[in-house]
Amino acid sequence: MPTPTLTQSIVITLIQCVLVVIFVFVVVPLTVFAERKVLGYLQQRLGSTRVASGHVGITGWMNRGMWKWGRIPVLSYWRGIPGLVADVLKLILKEDVIPAKADKFVFFISPAISMVSAVVVFAAVSFVPGTFFTLPTWFPFVGGLPVSGGIADINVGLLWILGVASVGVYGIVLAGWASNSKYPLLGGLRSAAQMVSYEVPLAMSLLAPVVLTGSLNFGEMSKVMATGLPFWGLVPQILGFLIYLTCGFAETNRLPFDMPEAENELVAGFHTEYSGMKFGFFYLAEYINMTVVSALAAGFFLGGPWLLPFGLQGLLNPYLPSFLTWFGQPHAIFFVVKIIFLLFTYIWVRGTIPRYRYDQVMSVAWKYLIPMALFNLLLAAVVRCFAV
Amino acid sequence: MNKILRTLIPFDIAKGLSITGKHFAKVFFTANRRTVRYHITSEYPEVVAKVQPRFRGRLTLLKDEQGEIKCVCCLACEKICPTQVITIEKGKKEGRKMPFPVRYDFEMERCIFCEFCVESCGFDSIILNHQFELAAYNREDFSLGMEGLGQNMYEPSPVGKFSVADD
Repeated sequence: MPTPTLTQSIVITLIQCVLVVIFVFVVVPLTVFAERKVLGYLQQRLGSTRVASGHVGITGWMNRGMWKWGRIPVLSYWRGIPGLVADVLKLILKEDVIPAKADKFVFFISPAISMVSAVVVFAAVSFVPGTFFTLPTWFPFVGGLPVSGGIADINVGLLWILGVASVGVYGIVLAGWASNSKYPLLGGLRSAAQMVSYEVPLAMSLLAPVVLTGSLNFGEMSKVMATGLPFWGLVPQILGFLIYLTCGFAETNRLPFDMPEAENELVAGFHTEYSGMKFGFFYLAEYINMTVVSALAAGFFLGGPWLLPFGLQGLLNPYLPSFLTWFGQPHAIFFVVKIIFLLFTYIWVRGTIPRYRYDQVMSVAWKYLIPMALFNLLLAAVVRCFAV
Repeated sequence: MNKILRTLIPFDIAKGLSITGKHFAKVFFTANRRTVRYHITSEYPEVVAKVQPRFRGRLTLLKDEQGEIKCVCCLACEKICPTQVITIEKGKKEGRKMPFPVRYDFEMERCIFCEFCVESCGFDSIILNHQFELAAYNREDFSLGMEGLGQNMYEPSPVGKFSVADD
């Protein structure tokens, strides 16, 4: 296999970036759509089934024909899907209002900070260990070269992820401040306090994999967590997964902990004054953050590109019969399926658990999650000391 | 102790998740079926909406088997009506012993659908039917009577685009 020159490896990295961006921007709108449908199904209704009148456009024509024929339309599950396009069009075409007394530059830059800090985390996520695929030989300039499974699987990947994800708080708090209005400021402060609080147990729950694997590299960690742990590694993994997921919900301001969006207290929180595509950036950043948290949970706790979660793959691998070796190998598809399942879990939890009060949110973080995360860290250390 | 355990181990959350998960699965696998469905909403404008048997819709005059109006002008409904939307004019008709309503006007714009008129009627000659699509563009369309262009008291009004047939 030829070794790429510097320019070639830059081009390959660009290809990886494009692939990841495509992945993100395919998954995120589908999550927005799935949010409507899944929430509807959880509440025994159908979710969005029409766009505008349901009598407009190709789908409307199809629906009308089906109804006339006396049938329920075949694509009944997906009749709301043009709503995705409608949403994006609405966001782009809407007037972009900037309040007269707002700090223009900060007002402009804060959605970008949220968005960038959400997307950039994917740089350190490794979707599959080693080579993802080899470019075909007819490909110009970089034909025949391997494309690895992560953009930059750096040795301090976890530090990079946590650090960049924390920058997202700046987007929120600056948006609240720059709006020069009471409700956004209070909402921004509130969600900043929440996110900063939950960063502590989140980082602590991610310390358990670090202790267990002895690495900070995302690919290495997900490999060891999936295949290299003894049986007792299950306990800190499962406990850590629950803590991590709870903190992840709070970190992305999702529903059991959606403090910024309190209509009766704060209107819409930090993005009250935002409209048009700037609001769209916040909205996208929230969903990309969800994807990021799902990707980390899938990578660290659910076995990443291996099939079975919680290190069960490593326990099972020696006993796999030969015709099942495909399931013992890492595949990017397993990773993506796990991410999608966790995104579904986000919506599932949103449809199930009622909202916490603000003081309850804080007490959950400081009184329960941090001691539990410390205990989990202790368990991981014991496993590391005696069982590995 | 039990409370601490329930706080630390998310049993209740798991229970709630399993309930909503079951609902999701049931709706997901039956959403496209025509007959047995699990979701409780209906595709209203395209599919005829069903109302409950006790639903109180628009006031309707009833006729007996011979096609005669059953109303005998006792004015009970007119008296009991809280918003005074019913106006009856008594009259005579050839070959009929009982009084006959020459005019029976019903101003639907003020009706509150309380069904007192139907309860007070001693001859079961009026009902509130199951029609609920009562919107109209003109005020005149809300004054119903025994005569007029389509707006009579016997048939479902042609106002609603997707009308529901009376049961």
